[in-house]
Amino acid sequence: MRRQLRSRRAPASPYGYRYRLDDQDEVNQNYLADEEEEAEEEARVMVVPDLEEEEEEEEEEEEEEEIEEEEKEEEKGQGQPTGNAWWQKWQIVNEYLWDPEKRMSLARTGLILVIYFFFYASLAAVITLCMYTLFLTISPYMPPFTERVKPPGVMIRPFAHSLNFNFNVSEPDTWQHYVISLNGFLQGYNDSLQEEMNVDCPPGQYFIQDGDEDEDKKACQFKRSFLKNCSGLEDPTFGYSTGQPCILLKMNRIVGFRPELGDPVKVSCKVQRGDENDIRSINYYPESASFDLRYYPYYGKLTHVNYTSPLVAMHFTDVVKNQAVPVQCQLKGKGIINDVINDRFVGRVIFTLNIET
Amino acid sequence: MGRQPTMGRGGKKGTVTPQELNPSPRLKRGPKMGKRRKMKRKKKKTDVEELKKEVVLDDHRLTLEEMSTKYSVDLMMGLSPERAQEILKKNGPNALTPPPTTPKWVKFCRQLFGGFSILLWIGAILCFLAYGIQVHYKEDSTKDNLYLGMVLAIVVMITGCFSYYQEAKSSKIMESFRNMVPQQALVIRAGEKMQINVEDVVVGDLVEVKGGDRIPADLRLISTQGCKVDNSSLTGESEPQTRSPDFTHENPLETRNICFFSTNCVEGTARGIVIATGDSTVMGRIATLTSGLVVGKTPIAAEIEHFIQLITGVAVFLGVSFFVLSLVLGYGWLEAVIFLIGIIVANVPEGLLATVTVCLTLTAKRMSRKNCLVKNLEAVETLGSTSTICSDKTGTLTQNRMTVAHMWFDKTIYEADTSEEQTGKTFAKGSTTWFILARIAALCNRADFKPNQETLPIAKRATTGDASESALLKFIEQSYSSVKEMREQNPKVAEIPFNSTNKYQMSIHLQEDGSQAHVLMMKGAPERILEFCSTYLLKGKEYPMDDEMKKNFQNAYLELGGLGERVLGFCFLNLPSTFSKGFRFNTDEINFPMENLCFVGLISMIDPPRAAVPDAVGKCRSAGIKVIMVTGDHPITAKAIAKGVGIISEGTETAEDMAARLQVPVSQTNPREAKAIVVHGSDLKDMTSEQLDEILKNHTEIVFARTSPQQKLIIVEGCQRQGAVVAVTGDGVNDSPALKKADIGIAMGISGSDVSKQAADMILLDDNFASIVTGVEEGRLIFDNLKKSIAYTLTSNIPEITPFLLFIILSIPLPLGTITILCIDLGTDMVPAISLAYESAESDIMKRAPRNPKIDNLVNNRLIGMAYGQIGMIQALAGFFTYFVILAENGFKPIDLLGIRLNWEDRFFNDLEDSYGQQWTYEQRKVLEFTCQTAFFVSIVVVQWADLIICKTRRNSVFQQGMKNNILIFGIMEETFLAAFLSYAPGMDMALRMYPLKLPWWLCAIPYSVLIFVYDEIRKLTIRRHPGGWLERETYY
Repeated sequence: MRRQLRSRRAPASPYGYRYRLDDQDEVNQNYLADEEEEAEEEARVMVVPDLEEEEEEEEEEEEEEEIEEEEKEEEKGQGQPTGNAWWQKWQIVNEYLWDPEKRMSLARTGLILVIYFFFYASLAAVITLCMYTLFLTISPYMPPFTERVKPPGVMIRPFAHSLNFNFNVSEPDTWQHYVISLNGFLQGYNDSLQEEMNVDCPPGQYFIQDGDEDEDKKACQFKRSFLKNCSGLEDPTFGYSTGQPCILLKMNRIVGFRPELGDPVKVSCKVQRGDENDIRSINYYPESASFDLRYYPYYGKLTHVNYTSPLVAMHFTDVVKNQAVPVQCQLKGKGIINDVINDRFVGRVIFTLNIET
Repeated sequence: MGRQPTMGRGGKKGTVTPQELNPSPRLKRGPKMGKRRKMKRKKKKTDVEELKKEVVLDDHRLTLEEMSTKYSVDLMMGLSPERAQEILKKNGPNALTPPPTTPKWVKFCRQLFGGFSILLWIGAILCFLAYGIQVHYKEDSTKDNLYLGMVLAIVVMITGCFSYYQEAKSSKIMESFRNMVPQQALVIRAGEKMQINVEDVVVGDLVEVKGGDRIPADLRLISTQGCKVDNSSLTGESEPQTRSPDFTHENPLETRNICFFSTNCVEGTARGIVIATGDSTVMGRIATLTSGLVVGKTPIAAEIEHFIQLITGVAVFLGVSFFVLSLVLGYGWLEAVIFLIGIIVANVPEGLLATVTVCLTLTAKRMSRKNCLVKNLEAVETLGSTSTICSDKTGTLTQNRMTVAHMWFDKTIYEADTSEEQTGKTFAKGSTTWFILARIAALCNRADFKPNQETLPIAKRATTGDASESALLKFIEQSYSSVKEMREQNPKVAEIPFNSTNKYQMSIHLQEDGSQAHVLMMKGAPERILEFCSTYLLKGKEYPMDDEMKKNFQNAYLELGGLGERVLGFCFLNLPSTFSKGFRFNTDEINFPMENLCFVGLISMIDPPRAAVPDAVGKCRSAGIKVIMVTGDHPITAKAIAKGVGIISEGTETAEDMAARLQVPVSQTNPREAKAIVVHGSDLKDMTSEQLDEILKNHTEIVFARTSPQQKLIIVEGCQRQGAVVAVTGDGVNDSPALKKADIGIAMGISGSDVSKQAADMILLDDNFASIVTGVEEGRLIFDNLKKSIAYTLTSNIPEITPFLLFIILSIPLPLGTITILCIDLGTDMVPAISLAYESAESDIMKRAPRNPKIDNLVNNRLIGMAYGQIGMIQALAGFFTYFVILAENGFKPIDLLGIRLNWEDRFFNDLEDSYGQQWTYEQRKVLEFTCQTAFFVSIVVVQWADLIICKTRRNSVFQQGMKNNILIFGIMEETFLAAFLSYAPGMDMALRMYPLKLPWWLCAIPYSVLIFVYDEIRKLTIRRHPGGWLERETYY
């Protein structure tokens, strides 16, 4: 009833038809503006699918825009008949691809891409410049700071991503990989090679080579044969086949590092926890159980090409069998720290031996 | 559809009865679906529709006998207690059903899980998930994800608690408004007067009310003695209205014989029959309507949702593409999933929620200092996006105090001072006519000052009596002399009080000169007064009334009336000596002459606009906000005030004005040429929603007069249909539906009713319209500043994510860890981001149009583009540069880092070689890595200095804007000191794995900081040089 009343009243409405039209036009214009943006976005998706530069960026934006679009569509869905909207959209996409009036197409998108391209290109230039200056200031022979790598760390060989040496003497399969690893590691220490490449320098003193930074430096020989019973020359199984494993210990290289003069860094191993007598004897090779001073200082990879790290081999000749024995090998000497709590590889190394018979 | 024949006019307008529960024989009208509601999909509840329609009652038409039979009650004895009990049982207690209040924990949960929080929660859950996966498949996993998840959860909870606390605080202020005193009502049952609780009053009860009482239910009066009620909470009419048993108006809200529940009886006594109780009362229906309304989302909530969508889009996209990429690069499924989660979580701006909350809180605080108490934090911004304000007239735009505005005597119109301060303008005070006019105004006046307020300025003193008389009293007291003395010297001997049939008030006083003579004084409706007069006073001399004078009178009356003022005429008669002292005047059977009086003049009164309002309306206009006046007042008064305050600006005219100017009938004018329109409530009632839309669309200056409570709601909905963000002011209960429905409802702190304050989002503590405008300003400012804040916070997201991405792609040591990211987001970035809330506006924010919620988003892709694509990228470069510098200086050259990840992360690989052949233990290189992360963090802080400074402005140069924001400077200092503290404080290496940096490493990022600053200054310069240009369209956020 009420509706009837209204409809009767409607023609008496004081507002003219013309104005209503005007308003709609206005609305449409706004609407078109929205459409345009969208269309352009779409067009970009369609026309510029693969620009290698800033692909990441572009896609990021597209993602955002997609979300926006969805929203806009939602809004529209409420107000406008969708069929019409799609048709308009299509028209505008067309117009966008080739706008006959302005004789321009893809201008905006292209411009964005170009601008971003130049922007990132100049950023790349900036970072390149910075990096270039950085390398100008850093010597290739000597790192500016070495305090983070000091004091030297310790590492052992054989190394198989584990510091537990579990093997059964009677089952070669369980220790064969240690032997292979050691053999491989010691290839560089072969006497022939060392004699050919390196010089025999006097022991007990630094092998200091003054001269220009960029001059090639000579390296001191460290022959495999120094390791005697652990050289693998006499016993190719490095004692593993007899339950007397050899473990090689080396100190991490640090450019310019010099142990205290006259007091070479020594290695000493003992049971870390438990009965001291679990290891009844260890033979060290070289017998001094130390790293001779002639191997220091190290001049860096670039000039000190053939530098061979000195080794100390520990031959565990009498270890309690069938039981895990934790062993701690420490470096001892002035300037050596071996009790850093956080770092169990600075100046010491801990591993377990579990030899089954 | 059937209709009772007695209904008459009132029944036409799709109305419903409030008395569904009554055992009355009246027909019930079924639900009618109004056509105008068709558009709204959400609101299908027909009862809400019904409630929106006009109230219909027919009890006011019934005679007392009919009433008696209808309610089967004896008009002398009342109901019997048993019958009353019976009805009480059937109808329930006479109380409003309280609106379903949300329990505190629900409110709390809403704070915890609503909007932005949900993003952080998802982040936290993903973190825990990633941690779970890591724990399940790897023994020695890092706990980073666990910590991150916990931090996220803690952040959400703290922020949730904070905003809950904020809201609780303002709702506590709300509660202080409420005064819940149990009310008593005096009923007559079985002939006995008894005091009972208002709750126990039932339909049909005979109730007695007296001055000061609250009306216990809707009453049909059967007898009254000088009863006046204050219906302001219901109709907005601030003046007490007389009540009598007579049926005076078809409209139940206007008729004299109905009193409404919860209005106040001001004076006199009345007896009536209860016709409705509880929720079926007019007031109850409004309350029900209010709580039944569906309230939309606040604009800022919508903005945050949009923002979350954007961020989630970016996060998911990055996550998924790098998930695929990492699979392609040969990572395992598990690792790829961890990466996916990591990237998604890294995109979550942890600190933003807290920043936004704090910014809004700060603004809310600032607003409450400016007399806008915000109940809901989000409403802070809503006010800023307001595009239409529907304002009340009385009390908001006006002073809510009748004041004498003009006088007409000696054939001249004099203006009185109506300003709030009453500085006192001068007019022809020397005239004898003025002397007599003032005497009549003072003596023929029943108003009086309440005692003990001598210290107050006259304008502020409280008075008894109606508004016009009080206005006269104050006016005379101020501009003439003490009324009290005058009254003592001229004692009143007889009077006829004003009533609506006489339309005049007469009193007889003894002359003060001791002549024992009496003088008769009269005031009233000017045309009535003129009828009594045969002479008139001009400059103190009497002249016989002539046509010229009558014409003058007519002109003056029309002119003053046209100003929307209430005009009173004044006349007097010196009674002949036969009526000298001792004569007994009989006012019932008049035994004295009351004709051939001498006309003195006119005084007109108005409730004048508040001083600050015209300015505020002007500000609104320049800010593109449409101000619509909605009032229950008469159209002419409404129009006059609208003109006075500038709602109808000078020069624009309504169709009627235009017709008058062109001297053609209104129907011949084109209503569209008139920008202004005054819509009468009764016209509005008959309009379809389309017609209303037309009006709202085509007229910029709109006044709705004589509107009923429900119509305000319709107007608000109409505005919202236009896409406007609507603010509505209101004080009465009748306004509460509109307040609730509006995007932001503004209740009046002083005059507002409790119900309206409950329904509103904001309370205007000083009832002043001008305060709204300052609120709008604050709201707009915070929107701008939030943009800046978000831009600032989001920018550092890129230097936070890219390390992880490069970690995955290039397999380099992780340049920035979770802990350092958290240190930025929740540590160093916090104070600077908040400090941007204190930034002053770049230009006059009140000179631009309100934002369009559909287009002007808080976070748009331009902002993301700027923050992520440009500034963020430069920042990332700065970080990486520092990172590479440190690694290179320690032996790892960038080229050797590529692909190093697996060895780098291997705990047993303790002789990793660097570019110089040095060998590093795991822990050594981890320390180096964490040093790099610290440096990366410091670099971000350094580039964030520049970012903060460029975020200060969006268009202006920093040199124009200046560095006056001390909080911001403090923010820069704070973030720097915090960064230094985190890096250098002892123990940080253990606690957060942050290591001291060498001084030069702080400087690595400086060039990038400068680059950011210069780049953005150039960008802004270009934008300023080419307004609307390409760069602006692409990068101005």
